[in-house]
Order: sequence, then C-alpha cells, then structure tokens
Amino acid sequence: MHAPTWLRWAWVVPAAFLVAFLAIPLASLGRQVISPGTVGYLFDPLPWQVAGLASGQAIVSTLLALAIGLPMANVLTRYRFWGRRWALALATVPFVLPTVVVALAFRALLGGSLGSGFAIVVLAHAYLNLAVVVRIVGARWVTIDPRMDLTARSLGAGPWTAFRTVTWPALRPAIASAAAIVFVFSFTSLGVVLLIGDSSTRTLESLVLRQTSILLDFQGAAVSAAIQALVVGSVLVLAARQRAAQRGGSARPMRLIRPRGRSSLAVGVVATAAAVIVLAPVLALVWASLRSSSGWTLAWWSGLFGPNTIDAGSTRIGSPLSAMARSLTFAIATGAVAAVVGGLAAVSVLTGRIGRAFAIATALPLGISAATLGLGTLLAYGRPPLDLRATGLLVPIAHALIAVPLVVAVATPTLRATDPRLVTVAANLGARPTRAWWTGYGPALRTVMVAAGGLACAVSLGEFGAASFLARADGPTVPLVIARLLGRPGEASFGVAAALAVVLVIMTTTLVAAVDRGGRRR
Amino acid sequence: MKDSTGLRVAELVIGYESPLHEPFTFNVAPGDVLAVVGPSGCGKSTLLGTIAGLTPALGGSIEIGGRNITALPINERRVAMVFQEALLFPHLNVRDNVAYGPRRAGISREEARAEADRLLTWVDLEGYGDRSIEQLSGGQAQRVSLARALAAKPDALCLDEPFSALDAPLRARLAQDVLSVIARARIPAIHVTHDPLEAQTMTRGAGGGSILSM
Repeated sequence: MHAPTWLRWAWVVPAAFLVAFLAIPLASLGRQVISPGTVGYLFDPLPWQVAGLASGQAIVSTLLALAIGLPMANVLTRYRFWGRRWALALATVPFVLPTVVVALAFRALLGGSLGSGFAIVVLAHAYLNLAVVVRIVGARWVTIDPRMDLTARSLGAGPWTAFRTVTWPALRPAIASAAAIVFVFSFTSLGVVLLIGDSSTRTLESLVLRQTSILLDFQGAAVSAAIQALVVGSVLVLAARQRAAQRGGSARPMRLIRPRGRSSLAVGVVATAAAVIVLAPVLALVWASLRSSSGWTLAWWSGLFGPNTIDAGSTRIGSPLSAMARSLTFAIATGAVAAVVGGLAAVSVLTGRIGRAFAIATALPLGISAATLGLGTLLAYGRPPLDLRATGLLVPIAHALIAVPLVVAVATPTLRATDPRLVTVAANLGARPTRAWWTGYGPALRTVMVAAGGLACAVSLGEFGAASFLARADGPTVPLVIARLLGRPGEASFGVAAALAVVLVIMTTTLVAAVDRGGRRR
Repeated sequence: MKDSTGLRVAELVIGYESPLHEPFTFNVAPGDVLAVVGPSGCGKSTLLGTIAGLTPALGGSIEIGGRNITALPINERRVAMVFQEALLFPHLNVRDNVAYGPRRAGISREEARAEADRLLTWVDLEGYGDRSIEQLSGGQAQRVSLARALAAKPDALCLDEPFSALDAPLRARLAQDVLSVIARARIPAIHVTHDPLEAQTMTRGAGGGSILSM
C-alpha cells in the first residue's frame, strides 16, 4: 500500500491520550493503593460486605436479563414476522437510555408498588441489559442451522433434550459472554442503585463515590476501586475463555424461519411481550411528566423551559435549561475528541504492529468502571497543584475516554472493508501519497467519523458515573440534575425530573437513530 | 416393491397451507432406495420433510413396518435424516456424534460408544472416533453423518441431497458406500436429488429401487 509517512505515526495521538488520561490516573489510583495503611483497609469488612451484596444483586440481575432476553433473542433474530426489524431496533432502546432515566422510569412505573430496594433495582438492571443479551446471543443463535435441532430430534431427542444437548452447547459461549457483561454492568452500577436502591443494593461504585465525595477518604476509595477492578477483571477473563471455546456455526446468518402453527403463536406472544416490556417504562416516564396529583398538567414542562426555571440560581440543583446547554456542550466536545482520537486509532490498525497494539489498547477503558476512571482522574488532575476541574475539561475528557472504544469498534470494520487497491490505483494515476490514501479511505473515514462522533455524543449525554466525580457542584450535567431532583421530596421535583428525562431520551435516541441510519446508508 | 414391512405412503398430501403436489402413494421395501428426482422448488425436500416429521402432512398416511407414524412427533418416528451438509454437532467429537442417537435411546455411554465405533468401521472411518469434527474432510463428515443416522437404529432413512456439496469422484464413491450400508442395515431409504444420473446410481444398488420423478 502506498501509505503516506505520517500515517505510520497516527498511533501517537491515541497513545498520548491513553497515557495522559488513563495510565496516569490509574497510576495515581495505584499509588493510593500501594501505600502504608492499605493493609488496614484490606481488613476493613465494609468493602468486602458491599462486594458480596453487589455480587448477589448482579447475579440475580443477570439471571433475570437472561430469562427475559433469551426468548427475545430467539424470536427477534431467527423468525420472520411482520415488524421484526422494528422489534429488534426497539430491543436496543434500553441499552442507549441513560441509567438515571431508566431508574426514574422504573420509579414512575413500579415505585408505587415496589418502592426502593432490591426488586426494583434488579428489574431495572435486567431492562438496561436486555439489548446485551439479545444482540450477543442473537448474533450467535442466527448462525446455528435450525436443521441441527431437527437432526437431533430425528435421532430420538425430544424438544427439550434437543435444546439441552445441541442448541445450548452451541449457545453457551455467547450466553457466558453476555452474562459476564450484564454481571459487570450490574456489579458496577451507580445511577440505578443511587436513585432507586437501598442499603441492600449498595455497590462498590456507590461506596467509592461516598468515600470520595462525603468522607474524603481517598485511600479507602482507591482500595474499594481496586477490589472492584479485581472482581470485574476475573469475570471478564472467565468470559474470554468461554468465548475462545466457541465452535461451529456458520459465518453468515441462516435464513429466517417462517413460524407455523403453534410456533407462530409463540412468536406472536414473545414479540408482543418484548414490545410491552421495552415501551412500558418509557411510556410511564412520559405519563409522569404530564401528571400531577390534581390531574393532567404541563407545569413540569413549563418549569423546564419557562423563564422561571425551577431552582434557577440555586447552586445545589442548578437550572435544567443551563444543565441542558452544558450537557450539549460536553457532548459536542466529547464527540469531537472521541472522533479524532478514535479515528486515528482505527486508522492505526491499517498500519504496523505498534498501531494495531495501540488500537487494541483503546478498548481498555471499557473494562474500567466509571468510578475508577472518575476517581483516578480526580486524583491526577482534580487537586492542587494541577486542578483541571475548574476548566470544565475533565468531564468531556472522561466521556471521550469511555466513547473512544466504541468509535474504534464502529470505524475499524469499515476501514478494513475498504479495498486497499484503491490507494494503489490513485497513486498509479499520479496522486501523491496523502491524496492517494485519502482517495481510497477518505469517503469511508468521513462517514464513519460522523457516525462514531454522534455515538460518542449520545454516550456523553447520558453518562452519570464519571460526571458525578468530575463535574463541579455548580455545573451539573442533565443526568446529575435529574439525580439531584429525585433526591428532593415533592411531586414538582419528580415531575420536572421526568420531563427532563423525556428530553434526554429524545436527544439520545435521535442521535443513535441518526447514527444507525448513517451506518446503514454506508 | 418386495413387501409391506418397509415404508408405505398412501395418498400423502404435502404442503404448507395448500397442497404442493398431487397426493403421493408408494412403498419402499427394507434395503431398497426410492430416488426422488426433480428440479429445485418442486417439493422434493418437503416430501422428505413430511415423512421425517419436519412438516405436518395435509392428508394421507405414512406407515413404517405396519406402524402409522403420520401424526407422531419427529423424535418418535424413527426416521433418520441426512442433509446436504453433514450438520455434525460441533461440541462433540466424531464418536460422540455417532453415539448421540443410542444415548437418547437410553443406552449406556460405554455401549453407545462401542456401537459408534462399530458404525464408524462400516463407513470406513475406523480410528476416527476421538477426532474433532473440524479435522474431517467434507466426504468424511458426510460419512460420519450417515453413521450417526444409522446408529439411532431407524426404521427408515431420508437422504436430502447428501452428496451435492461434494466433488464428482467423491460423490460416486460415497454413493456406492451408502448403498452398501443401506442394504446391510436392511432399512427402506428415500434419496432426494436433482441429478437424474445420481438417481439412477442410487436405485441400482445391492437391494433394489425405483425412481419417482416430480
């Protein structure tokens, strides 16, 4: 390939970004852990008790997500029926919803009957992670030839035995992989447990936040974060081993099955249930934004956009409108930084071994929780002598760090699918190296950067964990304002929070839908 | 046709919502092959699927050895299927793939494996039992698939274009092997193909046979 010289150095920018905003914060955190007095913290029963509680909660959340998600994965990815594409897109909605929005939606839907605590938290976690199960297991299920099951049955196996002895072993690695991700998300949950949890649903993430922001015990927080990283790392390693054991299956999806007789009834029931499960919390949220104890009202919406915004001028809650403007600014900055850093990392994949290694390294933030990332950044850049908190830069930087792996994941396959001979053809026709390279890869790169940047914006808009550590008290983002409103009694707070959450849902889903459309046009 | 203890199909109507073809009536004696030949989309595989229990019959009856299987679920029909692709279970080795049917019939693991080794010898794959299915060639995988079907001790065998993914020399050799195995197992077999030459080969075996053109 006639690659321009500068391309060989494309990895430098993502590498520098990772060193500055991942390695240095993690080192700061490590310094806190490896210091005198840590042994005492390790014998403190509190973080271990919280780890135990969080593990139990995460296991139940995972089992629930699998119980609901597996039938959905089976029906939505393998069967042909009217509205299947819509149903599949709908199943992705919970995953793109900000965690605070889901917490608020579940409080609106089930708060009256379940209150706060274990049951509502595990339901919200299962809901948030439905798309993980549907997408990961569905992608595997669709490659398993349905005739494999029929073969087993023609050899004497009943329907359940055929599933247990043939389909289940083929799905097991994908199920283990999805379960590990759901476990990690639930184990490290923050927004949901803070807003609708109680003492039985504490996570190490919430403990770290408490130790950092209320107790100012940074060493204790660092030890809690390290324990959490240990559990998360172990689960992800186990899942990777399972994934490596995956065998068989076609490289391409099988033809969709046309349901007949009893199976068409089952498909109809599952597809309808899926739509109801996904839409009910969102509709409950919209309902809550339009209802007061005296009936229908637009007061919460006018409170949101009107001149006399609720708590305008208050430093504790902040005005919703200014939070929206701030969140949008952070989202745009995140989109720009993530697109540039992630784009260069994706381009590095096309060059040498070093480039590929750094592109893989950009996935590291995915395995690190928001609290770990937020606390590390706070320790490295949020305290004198170097306090970047006042500049407002830390939130978009942390969000970009979270979004870069997604940008790389979106951009790399498209760039790899581009025929490198286009560059050779352009060079043969007289183009200089940079022009030739751009002629070959430019169109794909441009489209993919816009799409990936949009995705990064959506991530930033809804992110709660890192922002709770890094945003200034007088400069909260929309998810933080929602959380603060929910922390106050009164129906006005709840109503305005619901209206604000609806705005956030519209902003996030519009962005993700636009990205998805752009992706399909490609 | 030799006798009535084989496969007997009477006025069988195939299709999904509406009939795809005129009703079928035919007999296949044990050790004989009925070759069903016709172009793509004419309903050959649907006929096979209806006999094996993949698709419900719209009318008529199917009997094997005097047992009416028309309304039975697929796993109670004792009709083994071999598809165009071998469809071996990827998490099991060669021996355990073949032992799958005997295990479902409640035979102990040791006995099922011994039976699998015996059938692997039948299909010229002695000593292949411990191999992973990824180590097999296309022809070997199809032989394992045949051994697996026979290990379940079926009352009839349905072959849905089992050689079409193979090259010509391998196809001819495997066809001869399949014929000798069917004659040895003494079960009726239906072989679906779109190739008239293959249909002729399959009906000139050690047992006997006929061709049904669709």
